[in-house]
Amino acid sequence: MNLIEILSYSFIQRALLAGILIAVLCSVLGVFLVLRRLSLIGDGLAHVTFGSTAIALAFKLYSAASLLVSLPVVLLASLGILKLTEKARLSGDAAIGIVSAVGISAGIMLASVGGGYNVDLLSYLFGNILSISPEEVLVAAGLFCVVMVLLGLFFNDLLAITFNEELARVSGVRTKRINAVLVMLTALSVVLAMKLVGIMLISSLLILPAVSALQLARSFKTCIMLAALQGVCSVITGIFVSFLTNLPTSATIVFINLLFFGVSCAVRRLLIPRSAIPSR
Amino acid sequence: MKRSMLFVVMSIMAIAVIVLAGCKRRDQGASAKLQVVTTLFPLYDFARTIAGDQAEVTMLLPPGMEPHGFEPKPNDIIRISQAGLFIYTNRYMEPWAETILKGIDRQRLKVVDAGQGVRYVKASAEEGLEDGHGSHDAEGNAGGMDPHIWLDFANAGVMVNNILAGFVASDPAHAPMYRANATTLLARLADLDQRYREGLSSCGTRIFLHGGHYTFGYLARRYGLEYHSLSGISSESEPSAARMAAMVREIRSSGVRYLFAEELLSPRLTETLANEAGVSVLKLYGAHNLGKDDFERGVGFIDLMERNLKNLQKGLACRSK
Repeated sequence: MNLIEILSYSFIQRALLAGILIAVLCSVLGVFLVLRRLSLIGDGLAHVTFGSTAIALAFKLYSAASLLVSLPVVLLASLGILKLTEKARLSGDAAIGIVSAVGISAGIMLASVGGGYNVDLLSYLFGNILSISPEEVLVAAGLFCVVMVLLGLFFNDLLAITFNEELARVSGVRTKRINAVLVMLTALSVVLAMKLVGIMLISSLLILPAVSALQLARSFKTCIMLAALQGVCSVITGIFVSFLTNLPTSATIVFINLLFFGVSCAVRRLLIPRSAIPSR
Repeated sequence: MKRSMLFVVMSIMAIAVIVLAGCKRRDQGASAKLQVVTTLFPLYDFARTIAGDQAEVTMLLPPGMEPHGFEPKPNDIIRISQAGLFIYTNRYMEPWAETILKGIDRQRLKVVDAGQGVRYVKASAEEGLEDGHGSHDAEGNAGGMDPHIWLDFANAGVMVNNILAGFVASDPAHAPMYRANATTLLARLADLDQRYREGLSSCGTRIFLHGGHYTFGYLARRYGLEYHSLSGISSESEPSAARMAAMVREIRSSGVRYLFAEELLSPRLTETLANEAGVSVLKLYGAHNLGKDDFERGVGFIDLMERNLKNLQKGLACRSK
């Protein structure tokens, strides 16, 4: 099957378009999150989304309308993770673990107490990159713009708190506000992108491009560029490889990211002299 | 001081335990009726019909839930351990049923495997497809056997008889009434079968395309329809981009005007396929379960199958007689 034929399917066009936007978004956010030791926040917030979708279904709000409940709940949960790390002095993984466990238990509890629903909860929770509607491409584009503009506006402050929060605070950065911006942008992206492409893809795009880029990049900006590049390449190759090999698309994209990570590690060991790698 | 507090707390707990135990005993005394626990909706509906008002029938699965994701609550286990009859479909459909039963005293509990004696058929989503890779068969549970046996109404009849045998063995005193109810139910199923046979006899197309997991194989086989689904039996599997494209080509080349989706499940993939190929989506009940509203309204298996027949006739452009 040739390239033109593959591209003639409009669901493939939409998968590529929305996939690329979401890949850039997640990869860039991922660099900040991985360095702030919040790598698993995607998974954690996905579990909270599960819980909040259970609430939404109890009020008979399906698909798009369920966002009315999910968005505020997940935004609050992301701030909760932040508060746990600040106030209770928990590490990021422990804080995410707590919020994630509570989120999924709340969902299971509500599903049982509510005596069932009119639809199957899980099947409505996750999107699939092959089933993106034209309206959802617009959602992805809007999300992309919002996140990129805000990241751009706060870039210097984000950079400052990512590398040395104490120093940033002393030099007048409002660290709490910047932290809140970062996790809330992540929450917004997770809730919306999960409905579009599913959580497995989001979670892996938040981590793998970032860690690969961190193997190679010597500056923060290069790192962000490399991460975004890997995210985009993995989505494009993933869709085509899935087409040619008849493998599930999202899972293929995850494996291609893993491959990129392996290559980055190898390149780092072979080509870059040890002294040139900044210590993290 | 501390000692006396401890004593008070202990006494309160002891009293609570005694009172609660008392409640439990009274509970059991009041319900002299046969307690029947079923797993999925068709079994629940058949058992409820056979039981009449001589037994209390409950369904384990909460309405709306896909049977794969089921996790029993403590109350469910208690309900099963106090029941006289437990009915499940087969080990392909509810692998968890056998796990639950392991922990329960089987002496008083009679277990009915409703699918016993049914001729199981292998599920294959991609049979007859030009570039079907066929690898999906292997990933279905238990060798790719199709567990949706109730969608062949002759099998449904076998299930009714299995359930009846369970009732008669557990509560012989009311056997004549159970038999009478089962006979009525079997007649209704035979009538349904007849209506399907007539309703689907002269249709614009015999190609029955489903944009979801393999579900309606038995139904299609019984009425001579050519059934293809987007993906295999396993509800965890996801279609590849190639499979999606192949399905779009199949919709276009077969000339059907409707693509079927399963009720209760998200129709995302089906709608994507339908939009791509320029056809509409119609919903069918797999009937493992039903939505909460229908459940509360007391909708039955035969009602769901009548709705299915309407949509099938519309989707396959059948002339109604």
